[in-house]
Amino acid sequence: MRATGTALCLTLLLATGLDAQQATRTEPVAAMRDNGTGYHALVGARVVTAPGQVIDNATIVIRNGLIQSVGRNQDAPAGARVWDLTGHTIYAGFIDAHANLGMDSVPEGGDVGPTHWNPQVRAWFSTTDNLQDDEERRQAVRSQGFGTALVVPKQGIFRGMASVVNLGDAGVRDRVLRPDLAQSMGFQRSGDLGDERYPNSAMGVIALMKQTFMDADWYKRAWEAYEASGRAFLPPETSAALEALERVIQGQQPVLFESRREEDYLRGHRVASAFGLTPWFRGSGHEYRLVDVLQGRTDPLIVPVNFPDAPDVDDPEAALNASLAELRHWYLAPANPATLANAGIDFAITTDGLSAIDDFLPNLRIAVARGLSSEDALASLTTTPAGWLGIDRTHGTIEEGKVANLVVSEGDLFTEEATVRDVWVHGVVYGVTRAAQIDPRGTWMISSSDRGGFEAQLRLEGTLNRLRGYIDVAPGGRVEEGVRVDIESASVVTETGRIEVRFDGEFLGFEGTALLAGSVSGDEFYGWSSLPNGASPSFRGTRTEPFEGPSGSTVASEVPEVDLPFIRPAMEYGVSSLPDQPNAVVVRNATVWTQGPQGRLENADLLVRDGQIVEVGTNLNAPGGAVEIDGTGKHVTPGMIDPHIHSGVSSVNETGATIVPEVQMGDVITHNNVWMYRQVAGGLTSAQIKHGSANPIGGEGIVVKMRWGGLPDEIKFEGAARLVKFALGENPKRCCFEGRYPDTRMGTQSIIRDHFMAARDYEREWQRWEATSEGLPPRRDLRMEALLDILNQELLISSHGYRADGYLALVRLAEEFGFRVHTLQHAVEAYKLAPELAESGVAAAVWSDWGAFKIEAYDATKYNARILMEAGVTVSLHSDNAQIASRMNWEAGKLLRTGLTEEQALTTVTINAARVLAIDDRVGSLERGKDADFVVWSGNPLSQFTRAEQTWIDGRRYFSLEEDAARREQMQHERQQLIQAVLAVSEDDQNGGRRGRGTEQ
Amino acid sequence: MITTTSERHIMTSGRTRLRAVARSITAIGAVLALAVVVAPSPSAAQVRMTVPTQSEPIALRGATIHTVTNGVIENGTIVFDNGVITAVGADVTIPSGARVIDVSGKHIYPGMVDAYTTVGISEIGAVDMSNDVREVGDFNPNIRAELGVNAESRHIGTSRSAGVLTALTTPAGGLISGMSSAMALEGWTWEEMSLEGAAALNVNWPDPNPRRRGFGGFGGFGQNQGERPTYAERVQQLKDFFAEARAYRDAVEAGEEVLTDSRYDAMIPALNGDIPVVVAANGIAQINDAITWATAEGLRLVIRGGNDAIHVADRLVAEQIPVILTSTMAAPGRAHEGYDGAYRRAADLYEAGVKFAISGGSGALYTDRLGYEAGVAVAFGLPEEEAVKAVTINAAEFMGLDDRVGSLEPGKQATLLITTGTPIDMTSNIEQAYIQGRELDMNDIQKHFFEKYMIKIQQRLRIVM
Repeated sequence: MRATGTALCLTLLLATGLDAQQATRTEPVAAMRDNGTGYHALVGARVVTAPGQVIDNATIVIRNGLIQSVGRNQDAPAGARVWDLTGHTIYAGFIDAHANLGMDSVPEGGDVGPTHWNPQVRAWFSTTDNLQDDEERRQAVRSQGFGTALVVPKQGIFRGMASVVNLGDAGVRDRVLRPDLAQSMGFQRSGDLGDERYPNSAMGVIALMKQTFMDADWYKRAWEAYEASGRAFLPPETSAALEALERVIQGQQPVLFESRREEDYLRGHRVASAFGLTPWFRGSGHEYRLVDVLQGRTDPLIVPVNFPDAPDVDDPEAALNASLAELRHWYLAPANPATLANAGIDFAITTDGLSAIDDFLPNLRIAVARGLSSEDALASLTTTPAGWLGIDRTHGTIEEGKVANLVVSEGDLFTEEATVRDVWVHGVVYGVTRAAQIDPRGTWMISSSDRGGFEAQLRLEGTLNRLRGYIDVAPGGRVEEGVRVDIESASVVTETGRIEVRFDGEFLGFEGTALLAGSVSGDEFYGWSSLPNGASPSFRGTRTEPFEGPSGSTVASEVPEVDLPFIRPAMEYGVSSLPDQPNAVVVRNATVWTQGPQGRLENADLLVRDGQIVEVGTNLNAPGGAVEIDGTGKHVTPGMIDPHIHSGVSSVNETGATIVPEVQMGDVITHNNVWMYRQVAGGLTSAQIKHGSANPIGGEGIVVKMRWGGLPDEIKFEGAARLVKFALGENPKRCCFEGRYPDTRMGTQSIIRDHFMAARDYEREWQRWEATSEGLPPRRDLRMEALLDILNQELLISSHGYRADGYLALVRLAEEFGFRVHTLQHAVEAYKLAPELAESGVAAAVWSDWGAFKIEAYDATKYNARILMEAGVTVSLHSDNAQIASRMNWEAGKLLRTGLTEEQALTTVTINAARVLAIDDRVGSLERGKDADFVVWSGNPLSQFTRAEQTWIDGRRYFSLEEDAARREQMQHERQQLIQAVLAVSEDDQNGGRRGRGTEQ
Repeated sequence: MITTTSERHIMTSGRTRLRAVARSITAIGAVLALAVVVAPSPSAAQVRMTVPTQSEPIALRGATIHTVTNGVIENGTIVFDNGVITAVGADVTIPSGARVIDVSGKHIYPGMVDAYTTVGISEIGAVDMSNDVREVGDFNPNIRAELGVNAESRHIGTSRSAGVLTALTTPAGGLISGMSSAMALEGWTWEEMSLEGAAALNVNWPDPNPRRRGFGGFGGFGQNQGERPTYAERVQQLKDFFAEARAYRDAVEAGEEVLTDSRYDAMIPALNGDIPVVVAANGIAQINDAITWATAEGLRLVIRGGNDAIHVADRLVAEQIPVILTSTMAAPGRAHEGYDGAYRRAADLYEAGVKFAISGGSGALYTDRLGYEAGVAVAFGLPEEEAVKAVTINAAEFMGLDDRVGSLEPGKQATLLITTGTPIDMTSNIEQAYIQGRELDMNDIQKHFFEKYMIKIQQRLRIVM
């Protein structure tokens, strides 16, 4: 039987030799030299030399920081200090590939020295140059078994360079193994840092990443051109940040993206692919949702073990409120490492993200209990990160010639509640937990003849660092007839071989706590006590019965088995895969609203093949095996299109600057968006996700199809036109911080105009340089290029606004620059400009009946669409609202009361909406060759009493009432099982169990 | 076609012109036709005239009459005089001297009643000075909405065009927001419009879990989040206020000489059960706790909001407590409820046997959506006639107005709609409305802009030509 450790957690410094004098060391020894031999033999232990490779009763010889030999049953060499580690297990020292330490105070960037204009760009920051001692966190990480770490700066977007260091107590100069190995990057908006400057949105962050990589490339070429010219003109600016990125853009230095959600991983990967970078990823713990994506990719992936707390289901209303998304993540997060391992995906595990570092080993064991093999766990902490960090020749296994980094544990670290005894770093031992020198467990008979003394039976059991038990006292009588109380606490004082026990004195007739302490020597007990009445009798006793408990407590999974099939998105209504595309689909005998030249046909058929519309007509021949839909009594329309929503992206407004056409909503789509399901359920098949209205010139929107179950890139409407948000009137004026230009409608027009001119200047500068190659090469400026795209009608203006004055000014401004405003959005007063818009060919997307929610919306009229249509303006509806987007047919229905015909009304959510988005060649009507996006309705789609029964996109059925009902049943079944699982675990909690621990802020 | 006297022609000329434009343009679909049809008229600027009170008996003949309380009468006639219905039926004697209007092929419904709106006291959402909805402080039973109703509000006209003829204009905020006033949406002044100045007392039930996502019932007290009182404290404040009000009433009734208190005075009809107490509550605990409280206080309780009322249905049925739903054409409360979580609320309550009404719930700006809020429930399982009741007789009954409005019965006010079909579906049109027998000018600001800017199109096209 073997002790597993003590309650005393030490960071004893046993290290010697840290101040050794060597000819290869620059720093003189200041006081007395400390020349320990550095010659050790660790004998008797079970040694796991590498994942899956074990030598029992092995001897490891360490000399001068390296492993001199390792083998079975070898004698310790003479002269070596012998460490008898019988009963212990030794692993290679762990490697934390994303450690948050040593960077306590990251200096402010910004315009301080030749760094970078943007304070979020700190690529110049070197962890090697700036490594802090950070003793507390370093010891905490080391005590979990780590001897090596990649220290990663964590502030900003370009965060600086991460370095590999050892976690010994040597001075900073002696600890760096691989200086400035990788550029650390994060998706951090300035708002997260309490700032309002650009970039302050998810898409602004990515735009700045792209621009900065381009600038790094330009920077190199600009300096080369300057030198090559013989310094014939003024030099370019000096930027340590851009200089630091040179190796990154050449793919020689990795970029290490920290992801906080699964989307961050996808975004980082896109940026890295676009610029030919070498990406590494710090995962978010949601990687189990991306297994299909990650399979086959070899980019280093470092995952945390910060598992979420259980959702609150303490009362029935709370349980009703608990979402499937949070319940599922609670259940699946601890199995994240196992899921990756089972899929054959390599990963490293980090302490990063834990609110308390000493939760690391307990959480790692939960991951193992949830299916991660010990071998994979060890590989993720040793060989895998060693390879990625380029230290595998020296680190990661226990082999002759490797650096003597070891973890000595009193048991199996991965499967048992075992404690780390020592961590060796570069041949120096750091004690973590000392074994108890006594084991007091068992049953003791003790008695005292002193005044106030009594006879008692003391029972101690449990683990040595969490003793429990009871005491039977026989006040003046026999123990069997006395009373029993559970002891309040019992602990071993390691250094002195003493135990201390506390219990409630009430049953002795005292009010207060009784203390009993004693020295244990074999089976003999010599004790004394302090009772609440002031008496302090001494006791003697003997062990009458040894403790026959489990030798180490194995960690088992606490959660009941719940079968949770893979779904995407990982939330309510998620699906296991995208729907199939049948070869052919035919809807029979329906009222078909083609919204094209064929008009509305009664008793008609719609034929679809391979995702495209073939024909609308009567008695169509369908190929064999076609999916047949009986449309009797039903109506069929084109899938509806909403030119203006904001759901489905991680940010809406880039408020950090006034003119931001370079930011792209397509960079920040999230598929974890239950609104998409609701929208497809309401017959919506395409939409534009727009930038917000904080800027006179905002970002570029993204047109998507409602492909529920797809990843962000799969949702995009491939080949769709590009549209950019402009905003006029109140919103860009009142945004965002004190003193931001503009503050008037005139200023809004003026700053737009000024930027159009700037884009022309930019174009001329490029033309001049391309013709002459004289002077500095111009840099590629994403903002200016987006503006040029606007002037060239490659990026179409889609402008938010209300009042007629601003719209007219914008239309005229575009005409002055020789192009056309494509579409107005909201366009509450567009009716006042109907003839002008018709003449200029400007379309409008309007609301059915919004108005008067602010002063510039006060002249709203439901007849807006009607008036525009009468004047010949292309007019559609839009929602600007996730819920309304899920019922656009009713919005169109509202127009019937303004006198539009039914087919006219439906154009506003079908073909005209497609025209507003310039995707009418693909969708918006049921015509041959168009995408098979259509809706089957229970009746007239414009009636309030009608609902969508099926929604098809690309000839795939994304929604039907039947599938919806089945999903609901499955979802409620999962929720109930998961709620029961949470309740089962909380019951365990009351018995000393635990939930998942550690949350990331 | 409704025939009108020449006098009414003058007042409703805008409407008639509009209809002519609508008919011609949409039929032809060609812009050029405009020049022929629309005569430029300086009176295009006239918006929503207020009409005189009923001066002669009127009989509407030949319509399908939806009485709501007594079934549907095909080819029926409804007669009203001095603003009050005198006869409804298939075989009705039309009094001599009555103006008879043939409405064959049309439908007649009672005017819709919006049980919860701010029409008249809120004009432009983001313009603070145009809003008189929320008074300072937690306890404002003395606030009576009618006193702030602007008879010229643009939203009155658009609400009427959408079939809403009676509005329970209601203040908001605090624990006791004040009194809803029942307003007929026709009249020169609030005084002329008011049916009931103190129709119902409004209470906002506290939020038991302010940290949690969900349906907060109240807000606005205490600027400092750190000093937010607990749920229990908020409930106790409410109980204390009612206890003080009751003591005040008892003292006054006992003839004690007490200092007057406007707030406690205003509470007396609610304490005596003379008017309903409408409690805004959405969550399960909120609704349950509100019922427990109101039962102990002996109040006439109406729950407003009721998002989770289905989870309290048994108790609502057992205790005969009605619910005014405020969110039917809205987002579901929880992701797992389904895309139709809100759409289904009314049908679910109906099946469970809970009495309910549906309100616009979106404030003054969108009172004109009331019919749609009811119509959506039909698509998701509520029988159509029940949806109509939810915005007519049920709303009137809960708010103590069913002796005057909400159905077509002799003795009730002639507040009704002439339509081409059900007023809760957009595929039908509301053509004419009467309030207390007054034949309304159906123009409103939005139709006015339509008319005016169609003229602009015509003028520009002439220049082009």
